[in-house]
Amino acid sequence: MKDAILKDLRILDFTRVLAGPFATRILADFGAEVIKVQSEKTAQGAEANLSSYFSTWNRNKRSITLDMDSSEAKALIFRLVNISDVVVENFSPRVLHNWGLGYESLKAHNSKLIMLRMSAMGQTGPWKDYVTYGPTLHSLAGLTYLTSVSEKAPLGIGFAFSDLIAGLYGAIALLGALEYRDRTGRGQCIDLSQYEAICTTIGPTLMDVLANNTDPVPGGNDPDSVEAAPYGCYACSGLERWCVIAVFSERQWQAFCQVLGNPPWSRSEKFRSLTERAAHKAELDKLIQKWTRKREAPQAVALLQEAGVPAGVVQNAEDLAKDPQLRARSLFRKISHPQMDEFFTDTQPIRLSDPPDIPWKPAPLLGEDNTYVFGELLGLSDREIDDYITKGVIA
Amino acid sequence: MLSGTCIIDLADETASFCSRVLADLGARVIKIEKPGGDPSRNIGPFFEDAHQRLKSLSFLNNNINKLGITLNIENPEAREIFFRLLDNADVVVETYPPGYLKQIGLSYDTLKGVNPKIILASVTGFGQKGPKSKYKSCDPVASACGGQMYVCGAKSTQPLKAFGQPSYYAASLFAAVGILLALRKCKAEGSGTHLDLSLQESVAATLEHVMIRYFSDGAIPVRQGSRHWDNTFYIFPCKDGFMHMTLFQHWDTLVEWLDSEGMAADLKAPKWNDPQTRDAHFDHIVEILSRWTKTHTVAELFEVGQLMRFPWSPVLSPVEVTKSPQLKDRDFFAPLMDSVGDTVLPCPGSPYRFDHLFPPRHSSAPEAGQNNMDIYQKELGIPEEELGRLTALGAI
Repeated sequence: MKDAILKDLRILDFTRVLAGPFATRILADFGAEVIKVQSEKTAQGAEANLSSYFSTWNRNKRSITLDMDSSEAKALIFRLVNISDVVVENFSPRVLHNWGLGYESLKAHNSKLIMLRMSAMGQTGPWKDYVTYGPTLHSLAGLTYLTSVSEKAPLGIGFAFSDLIAGLYGAIALLGALEYRDRTGRGQCIDLSQYEAICTTIGPTLMDVLANNTDPVPGGNDPDSVEAAPYGCYACSGLERWCVIAVFSERQWQAFCQVLGNPPWSRSEKFRSLTERAAHKAELDKLIQKWTRKREAPQAVALLQEAGVPAGVVQNAEDLAKDPQLRARSLFRKISHPQMDEFFTDTQPIRLSDPPDIPWKPAPLLGEDNTYVFGELLGLSDREIDDYITKGVIA
Repeated sequence: MLSGTCIIDLADETASFCSRVLADLGARVIKIEKPGGDPSRNIGPFFEDAHQRLKSLSFLNNNINKLGITLNIENPEAREIFFRLLDNADVVVETYPPGYLKQIGLSYDTLKGVNPKIILASVTGFGQKGPKSKYKSCDPVASACGGQMYVCGAKSTQPLKAFGQPSYYAASLFAAVGILLALRKCKAEGSGTHLDLSLQESVAATLEHVMIRYFSDGAIPVRQGSRHWDNTFYIFPCKDGFMHMTLFQHWDTLVEWLDSEGMAADLKAPKWNDPQTRDAHFDHIVEILSRWTKTHTVAELFEVGQLMRFPWSPVLSPVEVTKSPQLKDRDFFAPLMDSVGDTVLPCPGSPYRFDHLFPPRHSSAPEAGQNNMDIYQKELGIPEEELGRLTALGAI
């Protein structure tokens, strides 16, 4: 069996729903030992260990419990920092400051420590203490405004995309800092802004505003950066079944017409070039929808893709679970959990040609690893651990 | 951070951002374009430079801090040059249809024959394997097949694609993580890795609650406008714009605030203290709250709300985003420098600040073949007349 890539990496993880836990989940999936610091008080809602949400984002991690408001917890944290490589947190800047756990005080216990701080706004700036969630970050980044059909009715994205994007950047920052530490022996503190992370996903649009003084407005499913027609979302047969079609080149247009059986309208002057088709988009879309309406979405898409036309079924959660492509690649897999029903979860979309074959662990129970971490790793005796429990420090 | 790491970028617009992220961290990235330039230079929006040339801003954004050379890797003589570049490289990023590189004699095994440590990151629509691996993709196809569109939009609209090219960014970031992992693996084991990334999976793996709810209770999430799936957030109209707000945090404070302006209506009734009751009568609460939000400006609610720890934010337009005092204070928009050191354009920087990354790198994207001489002549030692011959052949 090959070793896990990150087998020698130990991460002390203070993160909570979801940007931070997603970052550390990536590293845990590749073998890092991630020790999540929880407590009875904080393991609530989406952070409750037996919720499906928690178990999805915290697989392959360990859990210890510490009441961070107790002064004795701090001494234990310092001892843990001493034997860890990385500390990650995604609180507002003042939380760690209030605990007396700034980078400098942690570094005193581990000179090579890498610390990743991934607050919503970053550690500096006039908004640094602002409270946000995924949806409100989308709004601050312009993504909610632009993902709509009219600026009079912003709609936005139906899930917390920005947490996932920030988590990916978090993993990149940590792996980069690890390379640097390997080469120079130096740790460092990284200040990641979740707000900036989501802003990078509309980089070209923000450049357009800055360079050209434009004022981009929402355009529904219309192309925003390329010329293409037909291009968009089309209703298919059945309730709430849709497909997308995107025709970029003349060759694709010819293939598209052929799939539709070369109807007379396809030879009309109005549709003879890409520019003409884009100019008569509404009329063209209606004609296309007459064809898609009569077909099941997967059937329409198969016909178009076989002819080399980019198209896709607008898939819902059930479609994804049953998608033959995702099944062939085993994107979802079953995990069993000692206290929950077996459940499916997404695996890593990062696929290596010779992946290490490490068994996956379900998400930990609250404090499941107290004995291992405090006893085995820190060398506390059973009596000392019991004392801490009695005093409510390990709680 | 990554100095000493060399990456060859063969990627089109779907994954050119991947090596930009690594270039921002200090990797040396050589972008290889076909002679004449990459087609992704024709993707908008555009900017007219001082010489009246139209420049693609998406190309600029995705390719800053890279070197640029031209090489037609389909040409057998060019392939020899490619192998010499490969000798000194750690990573190749590519986005060709599965099987194409093999067809032109550049399969992963061949690349490994030249450099056993080489990491190949392949980003395609559906991945290297599986029944749909030959299917064509683009952002809307990935967004549809990956499950994003089904849960965005309102009941009254079509399923809505998230603005821009989110699938390209998600896939580029997954690929960058994969490359950094493969570099560590290579250090430990001495051999390279082929990474197989798919746009569809990159979307499906960033849906947050969507698959969890399906797998845990069989729910199929649907599009429901700005109302968050668990009713925690909703967008309210103000005097001069829109505010993204929640009805679940600091309820008492919120009702007091409304009441102090005589607008609490029946919300003072104790029954509304129960979040479940509020959840069950969501529309009623939205109606009362909307009456109140319409009497305020976005700036008032944002400023006062945040002071009171309400996790609210205005719905900003891109113009407003570029004026955000937070982004300005952190110098998020970095002025790009072109090759002669003139400021070119402000461009979104990286979302993190490192203690040890001095100075941040902000050189503009290369012109097609800008670094041909440096790399072919100075580094590979190809004589000028030979370069002339290869150029005439269309290899460079």
